[in-house]
Amino acid sequence: MNIYLHEFKTKLRSVLIWSASIATLLFVFISIYSGFAKQSALLQQAMANFPRELLIAFGMENMDWSNVLGYFALVFLFCQICLAIQAANYGFGLVSIEESEWTADFLLAKPISRAKIMTSKVLAALTGLTITNIVVWVSSFICLAAFASGQDYPVNSLVVLLLSIIVFQLVFLSVGMVISLLVRRVRSVTPFSMGLVFGLYLLNAFGGMIGQTSLEIVSPFKHFDPYYIIKHTAWDLPLVLISVTVIVISVAASYLLYARRNIPSAV
Amino acid sequence: MNIFLRELRANIKSLLIWSFIVIVFNLVGFLKFSAYYNNPQMLAILDSLPPAMLSAFSMSAFNLTTVAGFYGIMATYFGLILSIAAAMWGSGVISKEERDKTVEFSLTLPVTRARLITAKTAAMVVDCLILLLITWGITLVSAQQYHPDGEFYRFVTIGMLAFLIEQMIFLALGIFLGCAVKKHKQAGSIAVWLLLGTYFLSILVGLNKDLDFLKYLTPFKYFDAAQLLHESRLEMPFVLLSVAIIAACMAAAYASYAKRDLYI
Repeated sequence: MNIYLHEFKTKLRSVLIWSASIATLLFVFISIYSGFAKQSALLQQAMANFPRELLIAFGMENMDWSNVLGYFALVFLFCQICLAIQAANYGFGLVSIEESEWTADFLLAKPISRAKIMTSKVLAALTGLTITNIVVWVSSFICLAAFASGQDYPVNSLVVLLLSIIVFQLVFLSVGMVISLLVRRVRSVTPFSMGLVFGLYLLNAFGGMIGQTSLEIVSPFKHFDPYYIIKHTAWDLPLVLISVTVIVISVAASYLLYARRNIPSAV
Repeated sequence: MNIFLRELRANIKSLLIWSFIVIVFNLVGFLKFSAYYNNPQMLAILDSLPPAMLSAFSMSAFNLTTVAGFYGIMATYFGLILSIAAAMWGSGVISKEERDKTVEFSLTLPVTRARLITAKTAAMVVDCLILLLITWGITLVSAQQYHPDGEFYRFVTIGMLAFLIEQMIFLALGIFLGCAVKKHKQAGSIAVWLLLGTYFLSILVGLNKDLDFLKYLTPFKYFDAAQLLHESRLEMPFVLLSVAIIAACMAAAYASYAKRDLYI
């Protein structure tokens, strides 16, 4: 419990900053929706005339611009980038920070098992991520109510989309964790998390735009494609299962690796 | 000179990883292009889409069925990758000394602090140039199979110049943060915030014409790929603005590092 509280306290500032930034991002992007609304009606018309194969080729078959949620899906993608970086930061830093700050020997000398240390740390990070998650929920509903100019939108789809956040965060948290345990030393967290998140984001952005699916199948940005979720009011289950498998394997591997990890000490 | 070589060696692994990323994106991108190459149906679709939509996906003003037009779309993403690398290197090269507790050692060397920064900056500039040349080379190699014309070569050349300026802006910003930010750990995360903020801002500007004035705040908008393609020249005011940003950052970096308190 002490470790959990200590971890949570050290993360609190960062959690608040991330939450505030993501809320601001949502606010700024959704506030310019009214200018976009006319265009989206045109787009909806244009898309109705396209043959389906071509929409698929453009990665546009899932876009639905008939209401504000089509625009929200576009905004949510940027939200996902932020959420992913936050989760990856916590994952990469979770246990590696003790080694880079030479506090690992102190921590491991405590009368608790390594598995328990790990559990407390994961739970603390998860609490932080959940706070951000809640902030995203609240600010999404508020911004949509404020700027959607009284339009109706299917609340179910929005709820299903927002529910995906927690799994999405878990993927990056656990993958970050396992990579940090696989490498010999994590000197600085940021380059790792930037590389992971932007690598996967760009892979999906490249892939979604053109041609048939190939490499982007590994990207969580593809698994939780906001356009797909909004249009079908459901997750793309086979793809989400890839994410879930990744989470399970990464978490299990992390516990195994940490249990037998060599810990460098300052002296 | 020793510091310069030392930094080059220390950064080789990172350079290799970023080169690998650039090469993979290039290959994936050109693989996807084969679906577009000389396909008039695709062009008809693109013409019927509303402009804000296209600019949201940075697809406006390009004829996707030619290799030059297609590269115009990829250019945005390459600019992003190269800028991330430059910002990470810039913020890391100074602040890592305090992180790894080696700063006392390097500052007791018989060189001034200014020369230390000069050597480190030079090493990172060289790495940025190498990464840029790799991007350039792999682009030309991948494009060969689509018989590129003179327009494509002109566009790639001027595009690389634009990338170079973007890289230098973010490198200078990173170095400035490494020198000036009190807590060495925060240099990297502030650099990330700047990158994300300016990238999102560039998308926001694309979505809404009324926000056009904001483009001065985001280097990703200084050199519009479409304009590079059609007019094949850089816009002078933005070149000057970039040079001013780089000069200001470097001057501030030297000034603040000369007086820096070290946290060891």
